[in-house]
Amino acid sequence: MALSILFSCGDLEELNVNNKKAKEAPAGTLFANGQRNLSDILVSTNVNRGVWRLLAQHWTETTYFSEARYDLDTRNIPQNVWDILYRDVMMDFETARISLKELDPVFIEEELRQNQLALIDIMEVYTWSVLVNTYGPIPYVSDSFEGGEALDIDNASPAYTKAEDIYHDLITRLNADIKTLETTTETETLGSYDLLYSGNKATWLRFANSLKLRLGMTLAEAPGFDAKTIVSEAAPKVFTSSADNALIKYKETTPNTNPVWVDLVQSGREDFVAANTIVDKMVALDDPRLPAYFATVDVDGTDIYLGGIYGVKNTASNYSFPSATIMDPTLPGVLLDYSEVLFYLAEAVERGFITTGSAETYYNQAITESMHFWGVEDADIATYLARPEVAYTSAAGDYKTKIGVQKWFALYNRGHEAWTEWRRLDAPTLVAPPDAFSDVPLRFPYPVAEQNLNTVNYDDAVRMIGKDVVATPIFWDVQ
Amino acid sequence: MRRILQLCLTAVCVFAFYALHAQDRTITGRITSVDDGSPLPGVNVVVKGTTNGTVTDVNGKYTISAPAGSTLIFSFIGLKSQEIAIGERAVLDVPMGQDMQQLSEVVVTAQGIERTKNELAYSAQKVDGAAVSQTRDNNFVNGLSGKVAGLEIRRPNTMGGSTNVVIRGNKSLTGNNQALFVIDGVPIDNSNTSGTSQAQGRGGYDYGNAAADINPDDIESINVLKGAAATALYGSRASNGVILITTKKGRATKGVGLTFTGGVSVGVVDKSTFAKYQKSYGQGYGAELSQQLSEQTGRPRFFVSQFDIDGDGQPDLVTPTGADASWGAPFNPNQTVFLWDAFDTESPYYHKGKPYVAAANDPSTFFKTSIQQNYSVMLDGASEKGYYKLGYSTNRETGILPNSHIYKDFINFGSSYKITDRLTATASVNFSTIRGNGRYGTGYDDKNLMTNFRQWWAVSTDIKDQKDAYFRDRKNITWNFSDAARGKLNAIYWDNPYFTRYENFQDDNRIRYLGYTMLNYKVNDWFDVLGRISLDTYNEFQQERRAITSNGVASYTRFNRRYKEYNYDLMLNFNKEINQNFTVKGVVGGNIRRTRAESIFATTNGGLVVDRYYALENSVNPIVAPVETESELGVDGIYANATLGYKNMLFLDLAGRRDQSSSLPKGNDVYYYPSASVSFVFSELMKDKTWLNNGKFRVNYAEVGNTAPAQSITDVYDKPTAFGNVTLFSVQSTKNNPNLKPERTKSFETGVEMSFVEDRVGFDFTFYRQNSVDQIVPATVSRATGYDAKYINAGEIRNQGFEVSVYAVPVQVGAFSWRVSANWTRNRNKVVELAPGITNLQLGSFQNGVSIAAAVDQPYGVIRGSNFVYNDQGQRLVDEDGYYQMTGANSIIGNLNPDWIGGLNNTLKYKSFSLSFLIDTRQGGNVYSLDMAYGNYSGILPETAGLNQLGNPLRNSYENGGGWIFDGVKEDGTKNDIRVDASAEEFVGIFGPDYVPNKAYVYDASYVKLREVVLSYSLPQNLLARLAPIKGIDVSLVGRNLWIIHKNLPYADPEDALGSGNFSGGFQSGAYPNVRNMGFNVKVKF
Repeated sequence: MALSILFSCGDLEELNVNNKKAKEAPAGTLFANGQRNLSDILVSTNVNRGVWRLLAQHWTETTYFSEARYDLDTRNIPQNVWDILYRDVMMDFETARISLKELDPVFIEEELRQNQLALIDIMEVYTWSVLVNTYGPIPYVSDSFEGGEALDIDNASPAYTKAEDIYHDLITRLNADIKTLETTTETETLGSYDLLYSGNKATWLRFANSLKLRLGMTLAEAPGFDAKTIVSEAAPKVFTSSADNALIKYKETTPNTNPVWVDLVQSGREDFVAANTIVDKMVALDDPRLPAYFATVDVDGTDIYLGGIYGVKNTASNYSFPSATIMDPTLPGVLLDYSEVLFYLAEAVERGFITTGSAETYYNQAITESMHFWGVEDADIATYLARPEVAYTSAAGDYKTKIGVQKWFALYNRGHEAWTEWRRLDAPTLVAPPDAFSDVPLRFPYPVAEQNLNTVNYDDAVRMIGKDVVATPIFWDVQ
Repeated sequence: MRRILQLCLTAVCVFAFYALHAQDRTITGRITSVDDGSPLPGVNVVVKGTTNGTVTDVNGKYTISAPAGSTLIFSFIGLKSQEIAIGERAVLDVPMGQDMQQLSEVVVTAQGIERTKNELAYSAQKVDGAAVSQTRDNNFVNGLSGKVAGLEIRRPNTMGGSTNVVIRGNKSLTGNNQALFVIDGVPIDNSNTSGTSQAQGRGGYDYGNAAADINPDDIESINVLKGAAATALYGSRASNGVILITTKKGRATKGVGLTFTGGVSVGVVDKSTFAKYQKSYGQGYGAELSQQLSEQTGRPRFFVSQFDIDGDGQPDLVTPTGADASWGAPFNPNQTVFLWDAFDTESPYYHKGKPYVAAANDPSTFFKTSIQQNYSVMLDGASEKGYYKLGYSTNRETGILPNSHIYKDFINFGSSYKITDRLTATASVNFSTIRGNGRYGTGYDDKNLMTNFRQWWAVSTDIKDQKDAYFRDRKNITWNFSDAARGKLNAIYWDNPYFTRYENFQDDNRIRYLGYTMLNYKVNDWFDVLGRISLDTYNEFQQERRAITSNGVASYTRFNRRYKEYNYDLMLNFNKEINQNFTVKGVVGGNIRRTRAESIFATTNGGLVVDRYYALENSVNPIVAPVETESELGVDGIYANATLGYKNMLFLDLAGRRDQSSSLPKGNDVYYYPSASVSFVFSELMKDKTWLNNGKFRVNYAEVGNTAPAQSITDVYDKPTAFGNVTLFSVQSTKNNPNLKPERTKSFETGVEMSFVEDRVGFDFTFYRQNSVDQIVPATVSRATGYDAKYINAGEIRNQGFEVSVYAVPVQVGAFSWRVSANWTRNRNKVVELAPGITNLQLGSFQNGVSIAAAVDQPYGVIRGSNFVYNDQGQRLVDEDGYYQMTGANSIIGNLNPDWIGGLNNTLKYKSFSLSFLIDTRQGGNVYSLDMAYGNYSGILPETAGLNQLGNPLRNSYENGGGWIFDGVKEDGTKNDIRVDASAEEFVGIFGPDYVPNKAYVYDASYVKLREVVLSYSLPQNLLARLAPIKGIDVSLVGRNLWIIHKNLPYADPEDALGSGNFSGGFQSGAYPNVRNMGFNVKVKF
């Protein structure tokens, strides 16, 4: 025992302290990181993650074209997207939310806390909707919902929640958040930690209502939802101009540039070209956004817009690359914009959800706002809108097709949203390429790790949807 | 080789000097070595039946008084004891030779405790220092391959890469499984800083493991302690077995002893382990234009063909330089084609075409002959008062790639001095520097040219032309221009290989001090006290470059790391003969260990401003905050051990240790290691059986604990780079655990050793079983928890197996002898359990959807990936289009553990000549070859341009009988007869991952290698006598890795690994070829 005393120097514990890492972090820093990571995964064109632009057939691949043929397995794409959304986005939001909730009142004024919690919750609602729209039923958690098991490390095998139940709760949450922001007299929120609006409460209210409009419209045909109420409540309070757009303003320098710049410019590779699916249609309409969207290519002495054939091998230099605008490191990442909101309003009129304004006006305004965003001159916009194939009264198809096609153009570079709207509106017509691994995916299969690590709950989730395949539609994709 | 007693370390040999008898007569004599006639100091001379004895002096001389008619016993550790009746003699000179009776040999065991082999109740195997130093491998550890049962060495073919050293299988799920290295009682760090990304084949350099800092010339002997019972005294860090190294001590000579050694060897690439190339089709990824466009324009589809390059007004045929594959147009000497060099303004082929043929110089001509030189000098001496040694060694090696070398320098100093009869002071200092330059890139990476040459290459590229192009003005003139015809002359995927080697190279150094001071006080003849302070510390520095114009972003990266370990030891040793029948030996000790590692990593951001200027300040954008780490670990231990002996026949060894570790939470931070062993020398009961020389049975049980990795208890936040002015933090992806408890390994071992017929035949057989439980693992969890993983105590691995070593001297006639020794190891491991609800733990994730995992009920280290779909008869199924049906990426398609490993060594001796050769084998186990997967995909390998089942070139168009019929059966069980199009026009990677599952590129990793051949000659004593003052000259010719006698992996060395670690082997990407090494060594002793 004497030896035992001799040979213990005490204070062993102190050796185990990590002096080069923070033990505490302000909630705002986690919130900001979540916003940024959310934008990154939606903006990314990395073949291991964000293949959204391929799913929307805005772009196609060149030499290596497995992803364009919907090979999602080899690169573990469903796994990587899932991991980022839960671990790098949701977890930071949730940790910020909980630490703020538990923060001693001594340190924060109560109304400010309510505002901050509302902002975090709105970002969470946004992220959950992306997850549901990608996979269907998922592990979920919410203060206003019983039985959610996600984001709790003490439960390493969380159960899945029905997608419909999640959507119901998301609406409940958004309503509560909107109410909070409307009620508090405190105008401060998260200040500069908010990368979208620098904490501007008024704009956040419009963002929350625009998000509510999006969720409501997504639910338009889903049974069991009162989409009309959701949409009509939100519609009067949505974005009023493009100044309200929810943008992450990327920086000039790495690692804070637009991720597309990293994959396209910095890498020095030429993995993507424009897809003929969109280029052919835009060329046919002489769309004035073409120069903002794509570069021209010299074909036998003439500079033209030429899309690579979707889903086959394409020699990069034979086809149009994305434009210099798209490849700008500071091109903002868009979470929600005014043009998109206007398209929803046009559709809401058609569906009878709202009675103010006309579908045509909203439609024209939506296209106009999109074109403004891409720097198109007013005269060119007028010419474009006057084209019979574009004009709302004369364009082909029903309202879903008219809106679907134009929205698909407007959602260029917004692959995930473009893919979702295509699934919902079924327009334009997208065809799987030859030798494709599947038809155009309607969802992502669950990650392999869920099959291995969370087998029982995974099996339950599969029972909810029938089959864990890309052909299984998300619940709101009723047609 | 004679062994010198380690006088100062223990008090095993204590003899009285005082009991002289008046009536005795005086005997004098000289004891010499039979090997070289040199005098042997320190030999014990005892009058039989008395306690009267002495030891020989520096000159091997002794004087003793003994009664007439008595018998003298001459004994010396490691030499055969002799009993000689003095008769009427007054002078008795005795030559002493090596002891073949291995059981009385002294073995250094844990904590430097010496025990005779008789007493050992566990398996320990000794390797002579010469056996590793003679072969002159840059890393002495590699010299152990095939020489020790139970020890698996896996060596990469990179210059200075890290060697995987595992004893009796992987015991820890995700922790360290490498054996512990201990030099003269001092544990040394064997970290590998290459990182997990490097180990998973994602690129980076293999900076080697730190045990390579040991000077092979300074090694006297190596003992491998395998089981937990043998190592329990070292505490947690020795749970993976110990490699105990005893360094040389000073020799007793007249004046100053001086030894020179020098050697030179050359290495050449073994072409059976490098890719071969098809010679029929050039650069391209199939048809360059889409069919639609080709039909519109009528252009040839394999070339870029709308540009006039040579100015003759006609459009020319330009190869698609952006394609890093060989699925292009068929070669045709009558066709003039413009290659990459037609766009190199300095090339004689600038704007000129060439006949379209396969390159004369393929990448196998890229390799150089490696040259390794080593020189060392050692001064030493010894007397009754002590010894000293001072050595300097240098090792200079250039690799098989251009601009690569590693220089190593060692200074070793050691001395011991008897201050009084009771007090001895000992000190040792080792200083080493390693300087590396141009280490080889590894894995799937553009800095690893093997990835380039084996996976993504255009066979129309002539290596020599690339060399000339680079050396003309040292620019990145690559065969892989983005699109030369359109003027895009940037490197798209691959740089000029010479540019890679000469511009994008790394360099590094490591400066290390390792040493101890020790005081030993002999309280009385059976008890002594030892105090020791040791330090192992090094600084390492690595810098990596990527030049402007390289493919990818130009960068400069630097990494500094400092490591320090202190050990404070106090040991009380006792050794007492209780009576004639009983002896007791033992130790009580304590150890305080403190380690500290800190590092800083910084890199430029967004490129470099000024060409060929490598400093952080040359960054295009302001650099992001460097990554700092700092980690400390403290373990306080006390231990005790006792060996009770009965009649030199039965031994009971009990040991225990208690550790307290800083990395475990308070309350769970203390753990114990009990062990009990019994050794029974049954031959003592069978002394009448003359055929049996020795026989021993042993059995032991031990438990050892292991602590958690530092800093895995409390949570901290990650700190991403600020977004503009906005500070960001993020929750860590691994959840730490404040409730961790120590891991435990329970080990049982039993064995028998016997030798027969005057020790000409002998064997050692061991069975062991080790269960490692309560493993501390960052268990992967559903990411819906917000985390990747969480530290928990869970899981169990079982390793069990047999080790057999045998030897025989089939021929011993006059001056000729032939000795054969062999060892065989069969380890079976099984993951018994992982965390609750978890059946698979991913260890490494690799390119192409392949992963290596621990899966319940499977051996540790299964390879997962997509598999064929088989029918009931085990036949591969094809679908209705003739393509293979495939499973998802989750199937088990291989296992990296060998079925068994073994070594066979033959030594033939005739007078002063000795020839030995070692055959080393590994049987079973798998490796997934990304090289084969992509080499087939990209059309480099000969198989991709061969004939199909119809006897036609498979790349012919379908209409011309081309295509391929995959070997398999259709759903209805009939043999597949559907020919699928494999023509260059329609190429979509017919042999690539989209059409062939990962399983197709899993190979049997067995090999049989002629590992070493050593022919040596020692100048005989009679010749040396004329060469005074030279006392010895040894010359040897050495060959290493000369011949892979058998293997099943095409074009590569199945042993080559991405470095050391838990999934070493199992996956090859950009594998380096085996290097055959031949050289000679000269050793001169003064």
